[in-house]
Amino acid sequence: MPSTVSTILAQTTSPMTPADFWLPIGASQQAAGVDLTFTIINWICYFFFALIVAMMAVFVLKYRGKPGARFRNDAPTHNTVLELSWTIIPLILSIGMFWYGFKGYVDLSTPPKNSFDVNVTAFKWGWQFKYPNGAQSDNLVVPASRPVRLTMRANDVLHCCFIPAFRVKKDIVPGRYSTLWFQCDHPTGLEEANGYHLFCAEYCGTGHSNMNRRVLVLPQAEFDAWMTKQAAWLDEIPDADLYFKAGPKIYARCQQCHSLDGTTGLAPSWQGLWERVSNPTSAARFADGKGYSDLIGAGKEFATPQDYLRDAIYNPGHHLVAPFGNVMPTFKGQINDRGIDALIGMMQHLDEFDAKGAWKKAPPATAK
Amino acid sequence: MTTLDAPRHDILDTTATGDNYLTHSRGFLSWALTLDHKRIGVMYMVAVLCSFFLGGVFALLLRTELLTPGRTIVDADTYNQFFTLHGAIMVFLVIIPSIPAALGNFVLPIMLGAKDVAFPRLNLASFYLWIGGAIFTLYSLAVGGFDTGWTFDTPYSTTTTAGGVIPVLMGVFILGFSSIFTGLNFIVTIHKLRPPGMTWFKMPLFLWALYSTALIQVLATPVLAITLCLLIVERTLNIGIFNPSMGGDPVLYQHFFWFYSHPAVYIMIVPAMGIISEIIAVHSHRHIFGYTYIAFSSVAIAMFSFIVWGHHMFTSGQSGVMNTIFSLISFSVGIPSAVKTFNWVMTLYKGTISLTAPMCYGLAFLFLFTIGGLTGLHCATLATDVHLHDTYFVVAHFHYVMMGSALIAMIGGLHHWWPKMTGRMYHEGTGIAGCIIIFVGFNMTFFTQFMLGSQGMPRRYYDYQPEFQTYHIVSTIGAYIMAAGFVTTAVCLMQSLMSGRRAPANPWGGRSLEWQCASPPRHDNFEHPPTVGDCYDFTPVVWDERQQGYVVDRALDTHIPHGKSPNTGGHQ
Repeated sequence: MPSTVSTILAQTTSPMTPADFWLPIGASQQAAGVDLTFTIINWICYFFFALIVAMMAVFVLKYRGKPGARFRNDAPTHNTVLELSWTIIPLILSIGMFWYGFKGYVDLSTPPKNSFDVNVTAFKWGWQFKYPNGAQSDNLVVPASRPVRLTMRANDVLHCCFIPAFRVKKDIVPGRYSTLWFQCDHPTGLEEANGYHLFCAEYCGTGHSNMNRRVLVLPQAEFDAWMTKQAAWLDEIPDADLYFKAGPKIYARCQQCHSLDGTTGLAPSWQGLWERVSNPTSAARFADGKGYSDLIGAGKEFATPQDYLRDAIYNPGHHLVAPFGNVMPTFKGQINDRGIDALIGMMQHLDEFDAKGAWKKAPPATAK
Repeated sequence: MTTLDAPRHDILDTTATGDNYLTHSRGFLSWALTLDHKRIGVMYMVAVLCSFFLGGVFALLLRTELLTPGRTIVDADTYNQFFTLHGAIMVFLVIIPSIPAALGNFVLPIMLGAKDVAFPRLNLASFYLWIGGAIFTLYSLAVGGFDTGWTFDTPYSTTTTAGGVIPVLMGVFILGFSSIFTGLNFIVTIHKLRPPGMTWFKMPLFLWALYSTALIQVLATPVLAITLCLLIVERTLNIGIFNPSMGGDPVLYQHFFWFYSHPAVYIMIVPAMGIISEIIAVHSHRHIFGYTYIAFSSVAIAMFSFIVWGHHMFTSGQSGVMNTIFSLISFSVGIPSAVKTFNWVMTLYKGTISLTAPMCYGLAFLFLFTIGGLTGLHCATLATDVHLHDTYFVVAHFHYVMMGSALIAMIGGLHHWWPKMTGRMYHEGTGIAGCIIIFVGFNMTFFTQFMLGSQGMPRRYYDYQPEFQTYHIVSTIGAYIMAAGFVTTAVCLMQSLMSGRRAPANPWGGRSLEWQCASPPRHDNFEHPPTVGDCYDFTPVVWDERQQGYVVDRALDTHIPHGKSPNTGGHQ
């Protein structure tokens, strides 16, 4: 039964509700139902709050005693009719509120069958959105007027996907998939500032409040074009340009922990990293006491420094660099080999980048 | 006049000889090794208020940080420690022990008409367990602090690099036992030490509330202890219980944690409701309205509290069927709370109301608890909770209940029983001023957070969207005002210790037994076994010029045939 309800919902177009004193703009199919429930409960609250405070105020003013006066002795001590009425009336109201909430919840938690699927990975501290054709993005881009189902996973700790304008929220629990769906009928275009907020609502550490992204909604045709272009972006870049064209974009997901200027954060800086791993006599040590020279080189665990770096990105807890903790999530399935090449290229040419990861040198074609 | 004099006799006696629980014995050890429930209660109160100060400092620091988006005074990691410490200190060190262990310890045996709790040594042991727990919690600050949030959610808590996680888990584990021992003590005391005449339904409602609370403490806290043990085992021995990368389940942890921590909400609020029943009745000088309904609603809340924990997990990945069931049951807790609120309001009807400082706190409680309780409806309703969960709306909601209700009731109770505890009166005007400033500051701080949350601001955020800043500024200013109110209150109470006038035995016109012993009480509470009457019948309570306080005139008491009571016979 619930799925029928939501399928019907999904076929109509919902109006955008403007922000008011309590709620932000409502831009999804589900928002209207949630807002109605919220408003009904609000009015129940206003009524009882006014009733209780008014009674309090009247009684306190009217029955204020004078100092030293005898206490009056004519007050009733109980009244069964009153007791029953303030038990039964709230009970009936509660069941009503429960029912509205339940109905709304069924809609919120039942994705229609024709949903467009987006895979979501939340990690400390960012998001990756992956589309059916292999395209990836940092902001969530979805087609308008079509139900969208997010299948979400996390590799490290709890996260939570919260889109206030859509009134949807779902925890992302490591070790299991969680899903969330919505339908938005109001395109925003690709301009980030116009997008709807997407927050992480489950505390996840240092960068928790920086996991805010945007939901960008495009009409179906524009969306399809965007998705095709997005899927090919790494392949369209010539090999030689990869490290400075793709590198900084991918590095944006590393910069929360790995600095480029030697600042020590939660993880080793990339400054001098390539020199350390490509120089077998480097003094740097792993947490288990081994040095780089014990791991990297012909016949060792990693034949080349590139092999080691690839392993460190895909399997971060494997060899921990002292004195850092095991905090990095794996990027297996998120950054492909071309992406790894871009990152390693960036490490090899670190002097060409500023501390924020922007490429300083002009492209070779226009170099002097 | 003999009939009038007889019941007052013992009061005048004790004040004349001057021997009370504070002067009964002297020296550090006489306090450190005391078995007197009153001294243990006072020591708890001092300890709890020190913790409250510390938790309050963290609250002000984090509110200051939130004045602007991005960095204001500290970095993200320090901010995460601030809100974690604020939460952990306020919950585990302040609110949970504040009413049962501090005020309850002092008042319970006297109200009951007993000389002490059933197990005085266990009572002292539970105080030292509290100290031990507090030391571990503070020690964690010295070894790197902890940034897990007070809920210690896995797998964050088992993987964070902050060094203080294990000590604080140990601390909370130990504090749990302190809580269990206090609860156990109260249950046995109320069952076994009621004097002749003190039947269950003659007990003041504060005792019903403490009894209900004690049941929760004894039944729920062991689950927290087990959970924390498992967490320590996982973190130290790498045995996968909650961490999925070792085969565990993080949602299991949330079930375990909230199985305790939801009832814990009622460990905080039920005794506060008990205090309010006392304050409203005594300062309205009128029989409490619907005694039986209030008493049973305390027990009902205690029972319901065990079956609603799942409403903390509506978005956690718990199944839809469970969400539905938990949502439905959660509303059931609202009913007894509504019953209590209406009964308190009706108690004002045709009373003889004195707007004393405790009464102001009582009225503030009614106002704030109404808001806190009603906004719980938004959170119990599934569809709206999905939007509001983990936002500032929830933060505002539980502060209205935990602070606006539980802590306000605690401070109100402190004012109510302060003359009894210290033997001194405070300056009424300053006390009321403190209450009003706290009330204004509180609403500024937390009402804005309802809008913040419903507009979509998630909680535990160091950085936020610029459109939220106005609300944050108002909220922070409110927090400073509230701090000023607490300083006013502290000055008022400190001043009464130095120069307050001596308190009469019964300054407010109360009828329960604690107002029939001297202020401060004797070492063994009552010189003669007290006479139990109807503790909410204020007819025989009259003002006495000589004592500058109220006395119970037994000639006016319709419930006890005078002259026949064995307890007053000896004075003729």
